[in-house]
Amino acid sequence: MIRLENIVVKFKDFTALHNINVHVKEGEFFTFLGPSGCGKTTTLRTLTGFIEPAEGRVYVRGEDITDVPIEKRNIGIVFQSYALFPTMTVYDNIAFGLKVKKLKKQEIDEKVRVIARKVDLTDEQLAKAVSQLSGGQQQRVAIARALVTEPAIICLDEPLSNLDAKLRVQLREELKKMQREFGITSIYVTHDQEEALTLSDRIAVFNKGVIEQIGTPNEIYNHSATEFVCNFIGDINRLSDEIVKGLAGIDPSIDPAKHHYIRLERVHVNDTESENTFRISGQVRDREYYGLYIKYYVEAGGQLLKVMERNDGVHIYEPGDTVTIGISPKDLMSYEATETEAKA
Amino acid sequence: MKYSLKNPKPLDPSLVLKIIGGLAFAYLFFGFMLMPCLNTLTSIFTTKDANGNADPFAVIRFFLAGNMKNYVLNSLKLALCLVVTVNVVGVSIVLLTEYFDIKGAKILRVGYMTTLIYSGVALVTGYMFLYANDGILTSALQQAFPNLNPNWFSGFNAVLFTMTFACTSNHMLFLRNAIRGIDYNTVEAARNMGAKPFTVLFKVVFPTLLPTMFSLTVMTFITGLCAMSAPTLLGYDSINPEIVRLAGSSTADESFPQARAALLSIMLALFTIILLTILSSYERKGHYLSVSKTKAKLQKQKITNPVVNVLAHIYAYVLFIIYMTPVVMIIIFSFQTYGAIRKKTLDIKNWTFVNFFGKEDYSYLTSRGDYKIREGSISGVFSNDDTLGGIQTSFVLSVVAAAIACIIVVIACNYIFKHRKTGTVLEYALLFPWLLPTILICYSYRVFFNNDVWYVFGQNLYYERRVRILIILAYTVVKLPFSLRMIKAAFYTIDSELEDAAKNLGESPIGTFLKVKLPIILPSVLAVFALNFNALFTEYDMSATFASSHAKSYAMIMQAMTAEEGLYGYNVNASGRRCASTVFIMIVSGLVLYLVYGVGSRDLSERLEAKKKRKAFFDRIFRKKQEEPSEKAA
Repeated sequence: MIRLENIVVKFKDFTALHNINVHVKEGEFFTFLGPSGCGKTTTLRTLTGFIEPAEGRVYVRGEDITDVPIEKRNIGIVFQSYALFPTMTVYDNIAFGLKVKKLKKQEIDEKVRVIARKVDLTDEQLAKAVSQLSGGQQQRVAIARALVTEPAIICLDEPLSNLDAKLRVQLREELKKMQREFGITSIYVTHDQEEALTLSDRIAVFNKGVIEQIGTPNEIYNHSATEFVCNFIGDINRLSDEIVKGLAGIDPSIDPAKHHYIRLERVHVNDTESENTFRISGQVRDREYYGLYIKYYVEAGGQLLKVMERNDGVHIYEPGDTVTIGISPKDLMSYEATETEAKA
Repeated sequence: MKYSLKNPKPLDPSLVLKIIGGLAFAYLFFGFMLMPCLNTLTSIFTTKDANGNADPFAVIRFFLAGNMKNYVLNSLKLALCLVVTVNVVGVSIVLLTEYFDIKGAKILRVGYMTTLIYSGVALVTGYMFLYANDGILTSALQQAFPNLNPNWFSGFNAVLFTMTFACTSNHMLFLRNAIRGIDYNTVEAARNMGAKPFTVLFKVVFPTLLPTMFSLTVMTFITGLCAMSAPTLLGYDSINPEIVRLAGSSTADESFPQARAALLSIMLALFTIILLTILSSYERKGHYLSVSKTKAKLQKQKITNPVVNVLAHIYAYVLFIIYMTPVVMIIIFSFQTYGAIRKKTLDIKNWTFVNFFGKEDYSYLTSRGDYKIREGSISGVFSNDDTLGGIQTSFVLSVVAAAIACIIVVIACNYIFKHRKTGTVLEYALLFPWLLPTILICYSYRVFFNNDVWYVFGQNLYYERRVRILIILAYTVVKLPFSLRMIKAAFYTIDSELEDAAKNLGESPIGTFLKVKLPIILPSVLAVFALNFNALFTEYDMSATFASSHAKSYAMIMQAMTAEEGLYGYNVNASGRRCASTVFIMIVSGLVLYLVYGVGSRDLSERLEAKKKRKAFFDRIFRKKQEEPSEKAA
């Protein structure tokens, strides 16, 4: 469906994108994920036509659109700020693209009302000013405006970043539901890894203008291809030499020269049953209560390990308690020490 | 596609527009800002002696030897004194209405804000109506104290008094906003740590107001230096009235008057440039910004000491009386007959609209002992040909100039925000007139364009009715910096993603500008247009500098009314018409301010809400009307 081939983008002497290659399938919800300044929005703007690549080509359904002007690419965009025209009503905002295309008034009206119904906007809301709508309703207007012209692709540039946490979760669900209903190929840009993991069919993780990994949420989280991805996605422990040596005693294939990481939920407290597990004694230093889970900070093996334990209401440890930490070699993610350490 | 000489690249329309725009701005800048002012500057050094030999430093020698210095010293004295008096009164009225708990603060605020709706000549003539040698208050005082000098209200003290109260408008606008922006939690914190109310005022509140006060001080100093209407009407020898006098003089009457006027203008410009440089370098240092995340609204402070409290109330109401008396008197006397105005006594039984509308005959006793009738000698603002002509001239010139200034600035801002580098050059070019006193610009225009100038099609623009074009140009140029500052601020509110969104939806750059960007900034543009119009409609300084009988502004006509009353039975009710004119100006200014801040600041949601209410109101009326006949039928 979408193919970005060897894309290079330069701003004077600065190279913002180095040889980007992405292939997005029809109907897929594909996410560009990465920290600020990594190149994800630049890639999106190259796809939508706001930025001209120095090298490389952009294909949509096999057609080279690299030199096609923005308005002729048939790509809908939902902007970070939604970019709703404040001087127009909700109706006029949605109808804007259709009016530009000089469609008949009746046809415009029909299309606006159909899309409005699909995104749950009432006739009364259509007559309102955009400032009179809630954050969620504004997002639906932005989506309706982007979809009403029937684009082949919809691009969403961090549309949830301006909202509070609760609304973000709620709109995330709505967004996914709508994407499934419309079945449209969607490109989503975010720096929020939780958002990317919950929404996407596949994710491309960006860092310093290159793609570190493309994969499903499970691949990205559990089989991070690079040290950067492993650090950027979720919370993680980098294991100390003492623990690595202990683990190497159980599994000789573990190379102590590499950097070894383990996810918080894969570290176990006082688990005496699992086999092939390295165990070490530690002391609980602090505790954070999350309801469903409890996060412990345990001092063991010369480091402060973070541990996420399911809250069963029985096994709850207090700061100062002595506990046994268990780590299985199969749960490790290991990377060559030469790789650049990235900070999440 | 490859382009060659045989197959040339088609011209990009936006590039053509940019070239035309660039040329137009260059024409405006060089032709109407730089060239006339440079001409003024060079004219200082091109004087000739009696033998016709060039004597480049003659004017400077004249300046150092003669009494020309006095005009500069007088202006500096006025500016310095004004800085003190305006700040004392300005800060007091803001504290009394916004910071301290003074009974009747809302009414006091209305009184203190009256200078927003009348200023310049209207205000000075208003004060003269009260305090001049035949003024109401002077007449009353003379009855009580027969030895009182009737000309007590003239010269420096009168100018200082009038301008002190006239120049506090900026304090009411800007200092009031600054004091309202104070985080009340900081006041509470200081009180909690044991600070007394006045310690809080001086240690916590004042420091946050200092940047605003500094800006206001500089602006007041410049206003004092460039004062025109008050010194002219109240008789005080300062720079600007002298420039205007010299501009109208000739070498037959005195030594090189034009070069002397030019020297004074340039000196005024130098003072202005120095002060504005100081101001901008101070502003660049930054302001005290509240770091509070949850700002608390300022609450009025009670003055706990009962004696101080009473004194503060007395002070507040004395100021209120000073502000309100001219306004009230002018409004009342605008509905009084010429007889009552002459006697300076209120005639409760006789009220009239003749100062506004209509004409009346005037009969008077001649030296031969018979009565003569002067037909239509008593006339209203809207019936008197001269006054009506002044209103029409000022209205047309102001509307045209205010509109042109806004159009130029909107186009320029659109360019500035897209092209950072060349945009900055354009921005500085448009801010250039800010460095020059308006009198310098007008004087330069008057002298430079009083010749056939090649780049205005070889015409003399000062000649007869063409002077109106010249005045429009001067008005426009003078209003460019203010318009730029305000409209540029409005452009900052446009989210750059809106432009991208419109582009993505297929809109052209011009379409995006007209359909998306312009509607967003339109309320600000209309506000700037209205404020420009308001200032130009009643301006006196510039039109007086041009001093052309072909373009007599409303303020010039009003100024003339102070002198012409009742001479040989003409213009019998000039004072009444003057009062009516001031009332008219107050209504126009009030209306403009209401449209700008009341209606113009409404966003789409508020407008839709108002539309809904209007619809409901009319629906109710029509339903009632429809029901009435059916009820009757029943």
